[in-house]
Amino acid sequence: MPNIEIDGQTIEVAQGATLMDAAHQLGIFIPHFCYHKKLSIAANCRMCLVEVEKAPKPLPACATPVTEGMKVRTHSAKAVEAQKGVMELLLINHPLDCPICDQGGECQLQDLAVGYGGSASRYAEPKRVVKEKDLGPLVATDMTRCIHCSRCVRFGQEIAGRMELGMIHRGEHTEVMPFLEQQVTSELSGNVIDLCPVGALTSKPFRYSARSWELGRRKSISPHDGLGSNLLLHVKDNKVFRAVPRENEAINECWLADRDRYAYEALNSSERLTQPMVRDGDKWIEVDWQKALTQAAGALRVLRETHGGNALAALASPHQTVEELHLVQKLMRALGSEQIEHRLAQTDFSGDTKRKGATWLGMPVAELNQLQRVLLVGATLRKEQPLIAQRLRQATKWGAQLNVVHAADDELNCRVANKLIAKPTAWVNALAQIAKALLEAGASLPAEVAGQLNNVTVSDAARAIAASLQDGERKAVLLGAVAQNHPASAQLQQLAAAIAEASGAKLGFLSPSANSVGAQIVNAQGAPANDAKGYLLLGVEPELDVHDGGQAIKALDQAEFVVALSAFKGRVMDYADVVLPIAPFSETAGSFINMEGRLQAFNPAVKPQGEARPAWKVLRVLGNQFGLAGFEHDSVEAVRAEALPQGEAGVAARLDNSIAGVALQSLAAQAGLERLGETPIYQLDPLTRRAPALQRTQDALDAACAWTNGGVIERLGLAAGNNVRVRQGGAEAVLRLCRDDRLPDDVVRVAVGPLTAHLGARFGGISLEAV
Amino acid sequence: MTLDYFANLLGPVWLPVWTLAKIVAIVAPLLLGVAYLTYAERRIIGYMQVRLGCNRVGPWGLLQPIADGLKLMFKEIVIPSGANKGLFILAPVLAMAPALAAWAVIPFADGLVLADIDAGLLYVMAITSMGVYGVVLAGWASNSKYAFLGSMRSAAQIVSYEIAMGFALVGVLMSAQSLNLTDIVQAQAGGFWHWYWLPLFPMFIVYLVSGTAELNRAPFDVAEGESEIVAGFHVEYSGMAFAIFFLAEYANMILVATLTSTLFLGGWLSPIPGVPDGIVWLLAKISFVLFLFLWFRATFPRYRYDQIMRLGWKVFIPVTLVWLLVEGAVMQTPWSYLFH
Amino acid sequence: MISRIKHFFDTFLLTELVRGMALTGRYFYARKITIEYPEERAPQSPRFRGLHAQRRYPNGEERCIACKLCEAVCPALAIQIESEQREDGSRRTTRYDIDLTKCIFCGFCEEACPVDAIVETRIYEYHGEQRGDLYYTKDMLLAVGDKHEAQIAQDKAADAPYR
Repeated sequence: MPNIEIDGQTIEVAQGATLMDAAHQLGIFIPHFCYHKKLSIAANCRMCLVEVEKAPKPLPACATPVTEGMKVRTHSAKAVEAQKGVMELLLINHPLDCPICDQGGECQLQDLAVGYGGSASRYAEPKRVVKEKDLGPLVATDMTRCIHCSRCVRFGQEIAGRMELGMIHRGEHTEVMPFLEQQVTSELSGNVIDLCPVGALTSKPFRYSARSWELGRRKSISPHDGLGSNLLLHVKDNKVFRAVPRENEAINECWLADRDRYAYEALNSSERLTQPMVRDGDKWIEVDWQKALTQAAGALRVLRETHGGNALAALASPHQTVEELHLVQKLMRALGSEQIEHRLAQTDFSGDTKRKGATWLGMPVAELNQLQRVLLVGATLRKEQPLIAQRLRQATKWGAQLNVVHAADDELNCRVANKLIAKPTAWVNALAQIAKALLEAGASLPAEVAGQLNNVTVSDAARAIAASLQDGERKAVLLGAVAQNHPASAQLQQLAAAIAEASGAKLGFLSPSANSVGAQIVNAQGAPANDAKGYLLLGVEPELDVHDGGQAIKALDQAEFVVALSAFKGRVMDYADVVLPIAPFSETAGSFINMEGRLQAFNPAVKPQGEARPAWKVLRVLGNQFGLAGFEHDSVEAVRAEALPQGEAGVAARLDNSIAGVALQSLAAQAGLERLGETPIYQLDPLTRRAPALQRTQDALDAACAWTNGGVIERLGLAAGNNVRVRQGGAEAVLRLCRDDRLPDDVVRVAVGPLTAHLGARFGGISLEAV
Repeated sequence: MTLDYFANLLGPVWLPVWTLAKIVAIVAPLLLGVAYLTYAERRIIGYMQVRLGCNRVGPWGLLQPIADGLKLMFKEIVIPSGANKGLFILAPVLAMAPALAAWAVIPFADGLVLADIDAGLLYVMAITSMGVYGVVLAGWASNSKYAFLGSMRSAAQIVSYEIAMGFALVGVLMSAQSLNLTDIVQAQAGGFWHWYWLPLFPMFIVYLVSGTAELNRAPFDVAEGESEIVAGFHVEYSGMAFAIFFLAEYANMILVATLTSTLFLGGWLSPIPGVPDGIVWLLAKISFVLFLFLWFRATFPRYRYDQIMRLGWKVFIPVTLVWLLVEGAVMQTPWSYLFH
Repeated sequence: MISRIKHFFDTFLLTELVRGMALTGRYFYARKITIEYPEERAPQSPRFRGLHAQRRYPNGEERCIACKLCEAVCPALAIQIESEQREDGSRRTTRYDIDLTKCIFCGFCEEACPVDAIVETRIYEYHGEQRGDLYYTKDMLLAVGDKHEAQIAQDKAADAPYR
């Protein structure tokens, strides 16, 4: 452990640390642009030059490892002269357009130029101008401002996993650009905005709408995927202007997925529901809360009296808060109904009775980086969990072996050790093969599973995965959303649990929604709703959220009365009888429990728009309307205390992934074309569906197509690029056909979206025909 | 004569009617004088402050007092909710009445006096002392701390200066050997050097300054003291009630100026023997003293409250007492003519 | 001793008061400095800070680039700006309001402006007859600028050497 001296203070630092690390430990600030703690060292901005005793020239602090007895001066005349010289050089070609630059006020170059820049420039020659680049709908560019720190380039290489930006030419002609005029398609691309120390890369949706100094910062939690990224919402005039990451090493580090970053646009959408409304024939009438609530409660009460409590059903979005989900289940149970469900996309509930607790990741999120062996089952990882993908990518960089069982061989932007790509109905068999391979290799499987594997033939791929899982330490078997929504989900879980047990791995569920774990903890689940007479919808868009959108719409059309608590207008206006405007996450207080069981509470960033009210208040008053006891909460904290009496500790006690006693019935795959129906990255919840910038991304455009491989296209005599008619059950849709040879035979990837909402279930037989 | 004709016509009613006519003849020009005194004040002080003063309403601004009067007449009289309503209304009346009543004994020229009574000077002293009740009541009835402070200051100030003023007048009556104001004027006959300002010069100065203090005029206007207690005793008054305080103050100014002219500056007498006496001289002298009051206001900053008390008790009263002694002593000697 | 005697006579003979009155007496006859406003006007500097105006470039394009520096510097918080990207990609305001009843006419907005878009003109004879009349919107400010551009340009040119 070398001892060094910086500016007269001595410190002992770890071997191999750099001067920049040492200075950080002492709280000494060294100016820098290209250095970033999460990225590799580039040392190309030269701003961090410091004077080191006995060194002939100033050295870059970010790239100089400490050695014993080093004496460093960060503010000596020599160091300051070097820093000033670098600053002058950087400013030579930097345009003086701070007044129209969105980075103005939060710009590292601007800040450091105050400390290290001259008051006037000696440079009188014309400045460099760089042609604009089109990086897609999320990131705006002003490349003339670029100072070539290469942070964005390194981010692509190291964090996002794909080098979408690069630097070409040399010297004054250096330019950062995407290769071959492509756009940046990474689902983490927004992070380059935070990384860029100048205004070269800025947010496109936010462009020119506000200044950093006039925005208030409000802490919040991302309501999208199960990670629960920590956010800062920037607000002004009671409006959310943008979302930026709040650093939390245990969850999102300093990153944010584009979904978390840009979904805020929906908060100011013109589709927001801001007034309670009741249906009058084919018309909607805006009414006050009192009238809407009386009408809603009155109609539901009549249904309850005539058909019994179980004629009422509630569909709740797992993106709602713990408090809201608790109150909705409490309300329904008090009315005598067990028909409450938040696992809207699931079809196989047979595991419910075989499991002891709530499904969760099985380990803290931060441990994902340290894993050595991973088996990923049915997870479209990058689109489902962009930041989990990033963590597993870091793990593979350190030698972890990633094994994949999925119906699509998607690019994960990292090394995949072994993969078993099969159509969805073959997954049970695939996992059984792995389990049997483990058994053959001498691992001990639970007897009840081992006994059912007699007819399974083990393939080489399964054997390779089993071999991979058998050695190494720190292993995990992770089930993605596709596996959780699979028609034979319980069997997949049973096999995954067996594999995990046999290989000494942890079993984990990648919770698809912000509060999937919380909804299980507060028991917002019961018998799945099918033919109820009255529906209560909480933040749900059934046509997109429920596993079979067409059937869901039919059920709602046939229901006698539908009360929808929704933040948005939309299809809900077609089938609801009363719509109650509720506040989205930015306008209400509440909490989410993320996939690692962490309870994260947040407060409203702005006031609810119009007459919208927090859903917990609406549900509480609905409880009063029915004259039920136990709906007297006067704060969200009171609701939370009731929902989670022991707080986070109580949550941890109820997390349990173990499952036992599921019979393996689906060991044989079905013949014919099968649908792979995922929830696309930007169709996850009502917010992302209404974020215009996200809907213009390549990911969103791709999700609206039907994908299959070249063999299928040839066999059916179709042509990629043309529209095809997709038939499923009695429904059909016309989609553009795209070719993806990484899909296995007989799989047609048709994601859930506005065009496909009315099709049948997400998995099962499907047919394609030319239009 | 026509007057006799009317006297015979009206019989016993004649006396009150005639008296009323005379009162109107005094009060009407007096109120007009008050109005234009405000105009004069604004113009003169303006000039002394190197500006023009009011010159917009009518030719040279001459209609300004009319406009102000009209404005005040049409403004609402706000009575504070905690005020004693009766006293609140009574106070301006109490301030105004003495300012007018004292004029009964003022001789404007030889024989031109409403009531030529022997105890005229005593009457004047008694009546003018009443004026302070208006101020004290206004402050008390307003139920406002600023008004109350103003009225307390006013009461203390008037008690203090009443004594010095009284002693100054004792000097005059010793010289004139009469309390009748007409007699006092006539005792000063024989040119301006026979007027009492010269032999009783300290008394003259004391009377002038005490008069200013009695009037609550700058530099003794602590009862109003707008910089400390907003507007003092009349802070709660508005409209015509305020206007009456205003009228009373300026009527009192004219009264004190007239008394000063009568007692020390020879009243209607001409300054040089041989030039005819007459009311013109009295008006000229009143104007001069009023000009002095305005000049004071333009020149001197407001006295501090304790300084006012010190001046009254520790300077003026001793000075007047000493001069009374000197006067009394000299009058016992052959040089007594000096004081006659 | 001498000084004490002198002090006694100075006080007793009221010399200071007489000197004070002599001073005001002298000024009674001094030349009056009052400017009789509607008929006479005080001279104005090119830097006079009166009613605000938004300027345009000679080609008719508004100068303001929505940098919001004026809003940030305004000590009275009298300026309200909202901005967005215009169709041609340039940074423009969608709202630029000055509440003249809040404004203290310090001229900081003018100082802060990097493009000389917001200026304070020589105009001081304006009024409002009801609530809200002195809330100047972008259109009103641009109209002021359009009407008085010649004078504004002249004033700016006169002040330019001292900036």
